[in-house]
Amino acid sequence: MIRNSHEARLELIKAGLKRRYAKEKIFRAVGISAITAALIMLAILFASITKNGYSAFQQTFIRLDIFFDSQVIDPDSTGDPTVLSQADYGGLVKKALRDMFPGVGKRREKRDLYSLVSPGAAFQLRKMVMDAPGLVGTRQAVWVPADDDIDMLVKGYIRAAGDGSGRISARKAAWVKSLVSKGAIEKRFNTAFFTGGDSREPELAGIGGAVAGSLYTMLVTLILSFPLGVATAVYLEEFAPKNIWTDIIEVNINNLAAVPSIVFGLLGLAVFLNFFGLPRSSPLAGGLVLTLMTLPTIIIASRVSLQSVPPSIREGALSVGASRMQAVMHHVLPLALPGMLTGTIIGMARALGETAPLLMIGMVAFIVDIPAGIFDKATVLPVQIYLWADSPERAFVERTSAAIIVLLAFLLIMNALAVVFRKKFEQRW
Amino acid sequence: MKYPILIVAVLILSAVGFHAGRRRSFKAVDGEIRRLHSLPGYYGWYVALWCALPAVMVLLMWLAFQSSVITSLVVSGLPPEIQSLPRERLSLIVNDIMNLARGNAVNASPDEFLLAAARHYNRLKATAFLALAALVMSACAAGLGFGMRHISPAMRARVKVERVMKVMMALCSTVAIFTTIGIVLSVVFEAARFFNRIPPADFLFGLQWSPQMAIRKDQVGASGLFGIVPLLTGTLMISAIAMFVAVPIGLMAAVYMSEYAAERVRTVVKPLLEILAGIPTVVYGFFAALIVAPFLRDIGGRIGLDVSSESALAAGLVMGIMIIPFVSSLSDDVINAVPQSLRDASLAIGATTSETVVYVVLPAALPGVIGSILLAVSRAIGETMIVVMAAGLTARLTANPLEAVTTFTVQIVTLLIGDQEFDSPKTLAAFALGLVLFIITLCLNIIALYVVRRYREQYE
Amino acid sequence: MKRPSGAALLLILFAAATVMMPLLAPAAGAAGRDYISIVGSSTVYPFATVVAERFGKTTKFKTPKVEATGSGGGLKLFCSGIGVRYPDITNASRRIKKSEIDRCRANGVKEIIEIKIGYDGIVLANSRKAERMNISRKDIFLALAKDVPSGIGESLIPNPYKTWSDVNPALPDISIEVLGPPPTSGTRDAFAELALQGGCRKFGWIRAMKKTDKERYKAVCEAVREDGAYIEAGENDMLIVKKLEANPHAFGIFGFSFLDQNADRIQGSIIDGVEPTFENIASGRYPLARPLYFYVKKAHAEMIPGIKEYIREFTSEKAWGPEGYLIDKGLIPMPDSEREKFRSDGRSLRNFSM
Repeated sequence: MIRNSHEARLELIKAGLKRRYAKEKIFRAVGISAITAALIMLAILFASITKNGYSAFQQTFIRLDIFFDSQVIDPDSTGDPTVLSQADYGGLVKKALRDMFPGVGKRREKRDLYSLVSPGAAFQLRKMVMDAPGLVGTRQAVWVPADDDIDMLVKGYIRAAGDGSGRISARKAAWVKSLVSKGAIEKRFNTAFFTGGDSREPELAGIGGAVAGSLYTMLVTLILSFPLGVATAVYLEEFAPKNIWTDIIEVNINNLAAVPSIVFGLLGLAVFLNFFGLPRSSPLAGGLVLTLMTLPTIIIASRVSLQSVPPSIREGALSVGASRMQAVMHHVLPLALPGMLTGTIIGMARALGETAPLLMIGMVAFIVDIPAGIFDKATVLPVQIYLWADSPERAFVERTSAAIIVLLAFLLIMNALAVVFRKKFEQRW
Repeated sequence: MKYPILIVAVLILSAVGFHAGRRRSFKAVDGEIRRLHSLPGYYGWYVALWCALPAVMVLLMWLAFQSSVITSLVVSGLPPEIQSLPRERLSLIVNDIMNLARGNAVNASPDEFLLAAARHYNRLKATAFLALAALVMSACAAGLGFGMRHISPAMRARVKVERVMKVMMALCSTVAIFTTIGIVLSVVFEAARFFNRIPPADFLFGLQWSPQMAIRKDQVGASGLFGIVPLLTGTLMISAIAMFVAVPIGLMAAVYMSEYAAERVRTVVKPLLEILAGIPTVVYGFFAALIVAPFLRDIGGRIGLDVSSESALAAGLVMGIMIIPFVSSLSDDVINAVPQSLRDASLAIGATTSETVVYVVLPAALPGVIGSILLAVSRAIGETMIVVMAAGLTARLTANPLEAVTTFTVQIVTLLIGDQEFDSPKTLAAFALGLVLFIITLCLNIIALYVVRRYREQYE
Repeated sequence: MKRPSGAALLLILFAAATVMMPLLAPAAGAAGRDYISIVGSSTVYPFATVVAERFGKTTKFKTPKVEATGSGGGLKLFCSGIGVRYPDITNASRRIKKSEIDRCRANGVKEIIEIKIGYDGIVLANSRKAERMNISRKDIFLALAKDVPSGIGESLIPNPYKTWSDVNPALPDISIEVLGPPPTSGTRDAFAELALQGGCRKFGWIRAMKKTDKERYKAVCEAVREDGAYIEAGENDMLIVKKLEANPHAFGIFGFSFLDQNADRIQGSIIDGVEPTFENIASGRYPLARPLYFYVKKAHAEMIPGIKEYIREFTSEKAWGPEGYLIDKGLIPMPDSEREKFRSDGRSLRNFSM
């Protein structure tokens, strides 16, 4: 009887165990699938952006046989640079195209023909002549960038439509085909994408200006936020008396870390632009706004880093007669610095990717020139991405993705740097 | 810019001061350092600070006033009929003079008086720089002399230097306060001007958002209704969808990482998850608008659902992905803070790991988890780029996640880009929205931080 | 790890910060502006940016800064005063209004140069994936007006129509969803004037109102519904194009150039039987055609470097001529005589008066 009930209980437990183990397995599987789901999303994001963007690192070029007609460029053979710079180089390009495809007469046909090459071709010729005036009067084979539609066609993103309603008419497609057969179309590395400023023509648009803008903005941010952040952290952690005032500062910093970034943009608009009158769309104003935004991150990371230095270090220093300041400056701070730098790098990486507050201070304008200082009008890489993402031309999709790849590369490098830093200087006490 | 040269000069002089001060302190005690109050280096620092601080202050003051002084001097040198022009008009002429001075001529033959003024301007600028250099250098030298004179074995150089450093650090720590004050003031001022025209009750409880009012008298625009309820529901819906994605995935990922995963898996997976948090929001926005939204629409179309191309669902899903690492790393911290003894006790009486997690660890960590979720919500509400790029502009009251909705942040951006007139309720409304956003996130943050802190203290 | 390195690095950074701060200070003062500042219509924006870009690349001047603020918004900024802080040029997709000239005058902007650059049609377009619509201006008015005639006597009721087929059984049975510009836009003004008023006038008793109660007439004819059928999509026509492509049931209102540039993705509805094509707009047959302008402050033209040269570039044959690059971007050229007039106006900085 007793044995029986004991066995029955064992049976019961065993049966239960099976169920419980099954549950355990399921729970584990759910955990794994949660992580997998997150990683898959990451993979999809990266894959889709790479797939959309890698082709932008190449650009289609067309070979034109250009006659640098002295009658067009410099009819009075003055050799004067102002005359050379004002000449109608677009006309030369059009002439070369007409020579290549004789028998094109109607307005619409001509328009189609001229739109094979980028308007940038004229700038290119102008630059060639300005650099070497001896070219005038000679005939040269010049590779010029193709129009963005042709670029998209060659890369296979769009197809030629027969009915004339599409971006590429059957006529144009036929011309491209004949150019291909003549070997006058080639895909080359797209240097303009890295060196150029923004442009309304996708084939001329580059991230050079935006990268320079980002650089200046980050410079302002780094130079202001790192010293300020470290000094604040050291003061609060090592010297500040515990009173209401420091409590307020502390709560305040924790709150600022979670304030939406767009609110910092409103602050920048009202204070830096409207009150102090800083120049709109300048890296200076952008850098100031981002400084305020990253400060809390740096302060918090620095404080954590200071806290992780064991009290024994301080006590050791104090016990051999160092002042508090000496203990901190000579012993605690050097030990905490790697952690602070890691926090700063992460803060800077966040600032580099930030867009919303910069929209508020006029960094969304169309800016072609590459900025040369912190007062120039400029835009930054993420804002450039936002601007391009809204552009209607098909070719900008590709370029937006490419710009994203560049931005992500920067961020990955910065984060890798932070990880290396942490690994190298990490100390366990 | 010639100013960096000045700064470098000041730094060099300070370095000289440092060495001189050090040397002087040695001399004062004939090399017997023991008789000095402080280490010789502190005497050096003392002199260097005296050298640099006054000079830098003079420089800052000067630069703050220089351009306006020079401008007014140039203006006073202009012909009287030009001086009597209205201020804004004058600013144009001054701009022209400055461009001329930089060799950036507008027309080939500018007026003689303008050329003269430009020359005058250049001269003044050169003189000003020389004067400034002389002033800064003399301030530097005076400070140096003053510091050197005060060096004596009994002087408490270390204490003085340390006091200066401490004051400077304390000043740095007030920047955070000023930031908050700045935010509050800038938002509150403009919002107050808005509420002067639109009653707060209409703003807070109005059911219609239609801010694009006429900008001229002879135009017919929208009626200018500023009711934020549709924006609030839109914001909440997108945030709710985001949390619906982020909380289960983030929480389960955190549980798995802290309770199951081998060390090796952790070291690989954790940084990978953190990459998700490091991706700029504009990239998520692009991803949502270009890939997720069309994908959802296609799927919807296939199963016979009418999915708007800017559905709340697409924006919410992508925002959820963005927030996963936020939830997981915060919950990870919280779960790790649960004492091992609780787990050991549970496992010792025969509970499986999952039972331990569900019945022991999670209940113990609950306040902390709730705190981290609240922080994540506050982040979702304040997120801008994803919704600007992927959510709509239509303010409608709906509970259907397949329709387009709009949020606070989208409206702030729409209202402030472009037309920047600070006298129309339309522009001011952006600041009122900013105020509401700030207050909501502030409350969430304070509650969350309070909960998390209470929870931490419980186990410390 | 070496200890002094940390403190030394810190010191260097502090020093760097002190070096930087004075550099930041002069910004607060008056810094000269050496580039042109352009604001205004988003319809003219694509043309202005192309000209600006070429201008920057082919002259020694800096590339002008162009911001799309809408015609109304731009004119408002433009007329705020004379001075470096205010824009030099504003683009407009409609003519300046009397009230705006008065505002300019009041703020000291007395001399303005008007330059008409060409023509543009306003199109009502949708995705190519959907059916093309053949609609009359009257139908447009009925679909988008805030209040519509009830059909019983001379009374108005709030717009009850939910689908296009409610308005006119010949139109498709899909719900009315139109993305259009806000009141800061000149396209909105022109649309209200040409399409809505044009349709509204078809009701005799409303047309009669124009004589008796002009304000009420305008309010009835130009008020747009606010129940979600008309969506104010901000000052970004490109955004509207993208949204149309994603949503085949929606229609968008914008300039012809955007249709021209995106002809593979969107199609313009046929209005009153006329298709929006280059030829139809140039010949004036398309009912919703309007001129485009830009306005220059004369006071600035002599002070900000490059303004005269910018005007010269914009008004050159290679830009706005029948084969110019602006035409490739979708601008519809003016007849020769008009081009000649505005070119000479621009080059001589001739003051414009209404």
